Amino acid sequence: MSVSRMTAVCPAAPEPALLLHQLGKAYGRQQVLSGISLAVAKGEIFGLLGPNGAGKTTLMKLIAGLSRPDSGRLAIFGRDGGGERAGIKQLIALVAQESNLEREFTVREALLTYARLFGIADPARRVEEVSRQFDLYGLRDKKVAVLSGGMARRLLIARALLPEPRLLLLDEPTVGLDPDVRQDIWNIVRQLAADSVTIFMTTHYMEEAEQLCHRVALLKDGRVMTVDTPDGIKSLAAAPSAAMTLESAFLRLIRGESS
Amino acid sequence: MRGLLAVYRREMLLMQKKIGKLGYVFSSVMFPVIYLFAFGLGLGSRVEVSGGYVPFLAKGIISLTVMLNAFQQTSLSVSAGRLYQRTFQTIILSPVPALQIAGGIALAGMTRGLLVGGLIYGVAWLAFGVPALSGAAVTGLCLSAFCFAAFGIAVGLVIGDADEISLVNNFIITPMIFFCGSFFPMQNLPEALRAVLAVLPLSIANNLLRLEAWTIQAAGGAAVLAAMGCGFLWWGVRGLKQYDE
Repeated sequence: MSVSRMTAVCPAAPEPALLLHQLGKAYGRQQVLSGISLAVAKGEIFGLLGPNGAGKTTLMKLIAGLSRPDSGRLAIFGRDGGGERAGIKQLIALVAQESNLEREFTVREALLTYARLFGIADPARRVEEVSRQFDLYGLRDKKVAVLSGGMARRLLIARALLPEPRLLLLDEPTVGLDPDVRQDIWNIVRQLAADSVTIFMTTHYMEEAEQLCHRVALLKDGRVMTVDTPDGIKSLAAAPSAAMTLESAFLRLIRGESS
Repeated sequence: MRGLLAVYRREMLLMQKKIGKLGYVFSSVMFPVIYLFAFGLGLGSRVEVSGGYVPFLAKGIISLTVMLNAFQQTSLSVSAGRLYQRTFQTIILSPVPALQIAGGIALAGMTRGLLVGGLIYGVAWLAFGVPALSGAAVTGLCLSAFCFAAFGIAVGLVIGDADEISLVNNFIITPMIFFCGSFFPMQNLPEALRAVLAVLPLSIANNLLRLEAWTIQAAGGAAVLAAMGCGFLWWGVRGLKQYDE
């Protein structure tokens, strides 16, 4: 199916940053994702919410190119996401839930290696620039293995931003981090969106989704239940009280308690 | 080629970090040195081989050292990075084409194999006065390193857990170590077995390693090793193109 046909099938803002059409994925006999169709606009912060095992990380891997869909298609900035995706890989970056940093490397080596893999013209200069931007310059000779969880997460985000991607995939970006570091990362995400980087993120923290995301999708048993703004989700859950939070709305929708 | 070089530099940096670790040094250098001294000193004067047993043995051990370091370190780097440390994601997410990824990892595997093989040659030369290697021998070592590094990529991409890599080591690598003419000439083995062993890459590498000069036979062996290496590399490239976590 051509990208223009997919756009017609998934109506959204013109030329979405990310377009998913009827994506499906199974591991053996277990169907993990079914008929996922979404469109994410350029510059949008889009959140993917769902209980454990809903398929959020699998969907992230499909978009990033670490996994292959069994059915359906995806397009990133109008480019087909099938095949070897060499052109697309310059446009997107993934910050995975589990650290995939080389623990043996120093901070500088981890960044330089990534910059070289992405063919950045002056990798040393770009690494220094990003290190300073993310307060990692003072840690440049420290081994990745000795970094705190917060610093490692900061390094993962800094590394992902080296090639200046237009779509950033964040899989549980603040899981396990203290509130101070979480605020730091929220500020980074907001700044990126202000710089027109499209953010597609998963999170377990409803507060995070409410604070950051323009729209969220609820994923359950590998299917999209609904896509709306955080306020829209609260309305959809038929809030019995005015003080309903996104978390209580999420729980009502996931448990099928909404009217 | 920039992508290939970036992948190669990453692999070499990882090796540099491991070189100082005792486990790495022991597994890659001590094993062949122990074999060299144990068999060289224990059997050196008792086994009759044209040109002397110790030079024969030393070349065989250099050959299997190159094989082990090219194959095992490569398959380990790919499989552990893919299955446990997740660091292989860094390469897969990059825009480097699959052929350049495989080429960079294979080149790094060759470098590891030839470096340790060279070290063992140095030990054999110092301890037993093993003569210089011919052009055919050096070519054989380089092609063997390429062949086994490429095999390591393919295996590292295919296996599902650490047990499966043990299967490859126990059923493919270890039999080659002992049957492919590294420790003793193959002519005393049953003919049917020799016919099978003759087409294995370690046997071909051992034959090349013991040739004094280039011959038609050497060119044929080199061509077969190169073709096997290209075949394994193609298998690895295919695995990278179909990468699926």
